Amino acid sequence: MSNTGRQLKIGPTDNTSDQRTPRNRLRLIPEIARESFAPYVPQRGLSRQNDWDLTRIAPDLPRAEGVAIEVSGKLQNERGTPISNAMLEIWNANHFGRYRHIEDHSNIPLDEHFLGTGRVFTDSEGNYTFWTISPGAYLARPDIGRWRPKHIHISVSGGGSRLITQLYFPDEPNNASDPMAILMGDDFERNIGKPYETPKIDVDSGLNFDIVVGGRNAVYFE
Amino acid sequence: MKANMQADLLLPTNEDTVGPYFPINFSDPLLEDLSQFESGITAQPQGVPIILKGRLLDRYGELANGTVVEFWQANAKGVYRSPKHEGDSDIDPWFWGYGRLRTESGEFEFKTIMPGPCADRASNITITLFSDGISRIVTQIFFADQTGNASDPLLQSLSCEDQAKLSARHEGEADCGSKIYTIDIVMAGENEIPFFDDLIREGE
Ligand SMILES: [Fe+2]
Repeated sequence: MSNTGRQLKIGPTDNTSDQRTPRNRLRLIPEIARESFAPYVPQRGLSRQNDWDLTRIAPDLPRAEGVAIEVSGKLQNERGTPISNAMLEIWNANHFGRYRHIEDHSNIPLDEHFLGTGRVFTDSEGNYTFWTISPGAYLARPDIGRWRPKHIHISVSGGGSRLITQLYFPDEPNNASDPMAILMGDDFERNIGKPYETPKIDVDSGLNFDIVVGGRNAVYFE
Repeated sequence: MKANMQADLLLPTNEDTVGPYFPINFSDPLLEDLSQFESGITAQPQGVPIILKGRLLDRYGELANGTVVEFWQANAKGVYRSPKHEGDSDIDPWFWGYGRLRTESGEFEFKTIMPGPCADRASNITITLFSDGISRIVTQIFFADQTGNASDPLLQSLSCEDQAKLSARHEGEADCGSKIYTIDIVMAGENEIPFFDDLIREGE
């Protein structure tokens, strides 16, 4: 065996990363066992009527506070093949930087019109679109004054594709000090959305985020 | 989009930490119990029902709360429900083999059936962890009381000590009759279990 598995790195100023990051190098998988490491996720359904529109809790309810944005892009594998019918699970903090999650105990206000979770599927060309409220940054480490930059969590699953990532915003002051962004180095740029104008729809601006599911583990290309 | 010139591939989107707030409302009870098909359907997957009880521990022995755990396994006859096996007569129509749950505390219970051994492999379940502070990490667990462990190529690529860390132990039966297996998944530090690299291939 000439090569070795990756050595994972610990996110600077991230206590949880220090607690949970494996210290040993990842082990290589014998070729004969690789198939067993490629989960194939069954198709699942949507749960809410307007799962694609996080800017309001239901179609007949008022819009949440803050800047309404459209996020759209193409989902593809490393070979550029579009991935259709994949589910994107989306969650982000409200305009003020608070999650409506039972374990988010911060004092930042909730927004009575914002749930902050949604799901969409990619179409036959791998394209997806959803609306949400541009999230607030929040103070992750009050003791050292480190903020989490504005970000939207996106989990992609469907068939042989599996990825959990975060979409970041351009020119945000807190991007540079984010532990995960630091670990990504120059590659961080690929997780920043590209702004576009949205004159004809009921949102303030758009953010393009093309997603490439990497890894030779995604052995099934649908 | 910039391409990876060397292999003519697109550069992948970076994986990122799931953070502490994976929405609990994304949970699906059917993905936490593969021993039943869908509620109200008269159908049962083939195989021996088991409950895998696990603890996710950090380098200080504390439970890794808020972690998303995914499972992937073959059916009782050792066949994965993937495109490679489409049309295989040993596919169990009532069993897919993909499970997912979010553990609030760091302890979990996953109901499923004992995966069958298949060509050269002992019974195993692939476990993927998405936790705050890290990106996806992957391992595979085995069952101490099942046959084939001594010749499994993945287990045999590890030291005896590491093999033991990936072996779930049979610890009695639940009231419903399912066999209970337990495993401690230590993510970092002294008793850290082996995790595997599914991005880098042997010999590359
Ligand atoms: Fe977050």
